Amino acid sequence: MLVVFLHFLQGYLKIRVTGYSPERFLNLCKNKKIAIWGLESSHNAYDMYLPVSGFRKLKPILKKTQTKVSILERFGLPFFFHRYRKRKFFFAGIAACILIIYSMTFFIWDIDIEGNQSISTEVLLRYLETEQVYHGMTKGGINCAQIGKKIRQEFDEIIWVSVSMDGTRLFVHVKENADTFTKPEEEPAPSDIIAVKDGTIVEIITRSGIPQVTVGSAVNKGDLLVSGTIDVLNDAKEVISHHYVTADADIVIQTTEIHEDYIEKEYSKKIYTGKKRKIPYIEVGKHTIQLGIRKHNFNQKEQQTTKHQLQLSENFYLPISFGQKLITEYRLKTCSYTDSEMEAILKKKFEQYCQELEEKQVQILEKHLEILPDEHGMKGIAALQLLESAGFQRKIIDFE
Amino acid sequence: MCGFFMENRTLKSRLTDASGLPKDVILGVPIVSITGQSEASIENYRGILEYTDKFIRVQTKLGRIHVIGRGLQIEHYTNDEMKITGHISGIEFPEGGC
Repeated sequence: MLVVFLHFLQGYLKIRVTGYSPERFLNLCKNKKIAIWGLESSHNAYDMYLPVSGFRKLKPILKKTQTKVSILERFGLPFFFHRYRKRKFFFAGIAACILIIYSMTFFIWDIDIEGNQSISTEVLLRYLETEQVYHGMTKGGINCAQIGKKIRQEFDEIIWVSVSMDGTRLFVHVKENADTFTKPEEEPAPSDIIAVKDGTIVEIITRSGIPQVTVGSAVNKGDLLVSGTIDVLNDAKEVISHHYVTADADIVIQTTEIHEDYIEKEYSKKIYTGKKRKIPYIEVGKHTIQLGIRKHNFNQKEQQTTKHQLQLSENFYLPISFGQKLITEYRLKTCSYTDSEMEAILKKKFEQYCQELEEKQVQILEKHLEILPDEHGMKGIAALQLLESAGFQRKIIDFE
Repeated sequence: MCGFFMENRTLKSRLTDASGLPKDVILGVPIVSITGQSEASIENYRGILEYTDKFIRVQTKLGRIHVIGRGLQIEHYTNDEMKITGHISGIEFPEGGC
């Protein structure tokens, strides 16, 4: 393969040798170390390939052997250039291409960040940008050691940084501290627990604080359930001071809730006319160039836009994006539900609401849905008996 | 003259045998390697005596080698080695090469 390429670079010829003793010609070529290949005999003549440099040495051999040589074909780069010597723009294009590729090697086209776990690549890239290290910058402006030092200073979690440049890529390898430093939990502030809803206490388990209610007591929203203030008594049972704690308890309250829902009989329905318009576009920076037919006379329309941003490497996005806008025409039609449809919808919505409550760990003891139709639609009123934990931590402000 | 050379050659070849050195390097014995029926390469040759597409006669230090076949072509031809391609039907070492 390499030999073929070298021959192509040097240029080679296909020649035909005729005469009295072509064999002698071949042997003399061998002695003069002229490389010959693709030797073929045809009707008292030999066809063969030989490099241009070899052809120049043939003259004495031809004289000695009394043979004649004729060139059949010419191959290789020197002949190619000679043939197309008038096509200046073609060669200018090749030269420009080489020049562009060469000049592109002066820039950083990819920043590769590895080893980061808790700090995302975007965060690191954004930080590097503030330090004037970005995609597309010149390689000359990079000081690897300095970048590494700055990253270590900025991020406490990073304990080791290696910044290296390979071609047009900048590698940033970081190591994060495996045993991450966690802040000790702050002592929670003293607090009470108050009720968030009206209801009856079903269960109360106090871990700290003094319970103010018992099972069966009715409470209103805002009532104190567990107090975080503990009185310190002396021997005479007199309050001498207060001790403040964070009240902690599991409190289950039985509540009654009325949930209302309404559905209107008339509704608008989208009917697609089937008329569509696709508008491809190119966005360069803040400018948008739209292609194709942009005119349309759609009164009511939906628009879907897809956008693809060009990227040179994994993290290097160019400010050029392209995509397509799809505009679909529709008409609004007023429809009306039948009574059974409305009822079904209300029931479904109510079921969904119950499901949401259960997901919030609320237990439903009893549920009852009443449906009341009127002239414009239908109303659903649901009465629910619920068991839920209903305590809210309220900070004690006035201690000490 | 011939006898002297013969003696000399045997002495040399004996020495080569005894020392275990490769014969092609010391004695210039030709090496013919054949790949199937389509390819043959000859090393340590002196020159081509005759070449047609059916018959190739090659001169070597020990004598001549005939390659017989159809559509014979010399793919490359350098100072050390030549490669013949085509349909090879026989290779002969005719007597009286000396």
